[in-house]
Amino acid sequence: MRKLLGVFGAICGATAVLAGPPEFQLEIRDHLFFPAELVVPANTKVRLLVINADPTAEEFESYELNREKIIPGGRKAVVFIGPLAPGEYPFFGEFFPKTAQGKVIAR
Amino acid sequence: MLLTTVVLVLREMLEAALIVSVLLGWSVLHGRSRRWIGVALVTGIAGAAVYAVNAAAVSEWFDYVGMEVVNAAMQFAVCTALLVLAARPAARAATWPMLVAVSLAVVREGFEILLYLSGFVADRGAWSTVALGSALGAGIGISAGALLFYLVVGLRRVRALRVAELLIALFAGNMAAQGVLLLIQADWIPGGVQVWNTAGLLAEDSVLGQLLYALIGYEATPSIWQVTAYAGVFCLLFVFFLRRPTRADGNGSGP
Repeated sequence: MRKLLGVFGAICGATAVLAGPPEFQLEIRDHLFFPAELVVPANTKVRLLVINADPTAEEFESYELNREKIIPGGRKAVVFIGPLAPGEYPFFGEFFPKTAQGKVIAR
Repeated sequence: MLLTTVVLVLREMLEAALIVSVLLGWSVLHGRSRRWIGVALVTGIAGAAVYAVNAAAVSEWFDYVGMEVVNAAMQFAVCTALLVLAARPAARAATWPMLVAVSLAVVREGFEILLYLSGFVADRGAWSTVALGSALGAGIGISAGALLFYLVVGLRRVRALRVAELLIALFAGNMAAQGVLLLIQADWIPGGVQVWNTAGLLAEDSVLGQLLYALIGYEATPSIWQVTAYAGVFCLLFVFFLRRPTRADGNGSGP
């Protein structure tokens, strides 16, 4: 019985690790963020995959999310955010802040 | 684009200029040669170029959080170098920990500026604006560093040493907290609870907020682990610095 429980526990643990935090995608194109408004679940840690489709580097930055991350041109990178209280969290591209603006909405 | 460039270059320059001027002041106060600073700057700029060239590859390490891990490692190395500097009164004027701290600080800040500038290589029309912005940002940053240097070395020696010690301890605490934040961002360590929220009182994106961020690592919404790392390293350095050199150390500010 204990052996069986152990196996069950191991499977549960492995599933949790494999599943990980839910993933959301953000794309940078022509110095704009797509989507410009990203809805994520509140009170949950989220894996944000940022794909930079521009040839130039960009820095994903947000004072509200406490995040700052460079994504080289034509590459992708991962930023973990949250768990967030419900609300809006603006972010911007520090290299092209005039156009690269967006916000995370936690619901 | 001009303003964006000035702000970006200045932000990166301020943090590096702070540690450069404080450690340069420190070696002058200890009567050491300033020659190490040239070696540190050249090493740092070369390192920044190597990092910028390999940024794309590094970025994809460790399941796309490579930059966080590498940058955190650099922050902790700066922190360790400053702890080594403070740990033994006899070794307070050793140049190699200062060389390590300054060159890594320059790698970190310089790499970001180089990646930003690399975006304009193909855009000839933007060159003059970006060059002017960089020159302005760098000029203001270097001036701020020079001002701090002369403020520190201009004080009476004992007071100057205390001020430099305080600034070094604050800087090391800031590096530890930034390193921890990077590991939280990479999901290598848990986020922990938010200790305070002073965004309403002093926004991080305000001019004062930015300045305090560069000087002492001000955060409007820090995690418990950032605060712990900051306070821990700051206190440790503070305690180390309290141990005054004795005459037996042969390096004292003795009679």
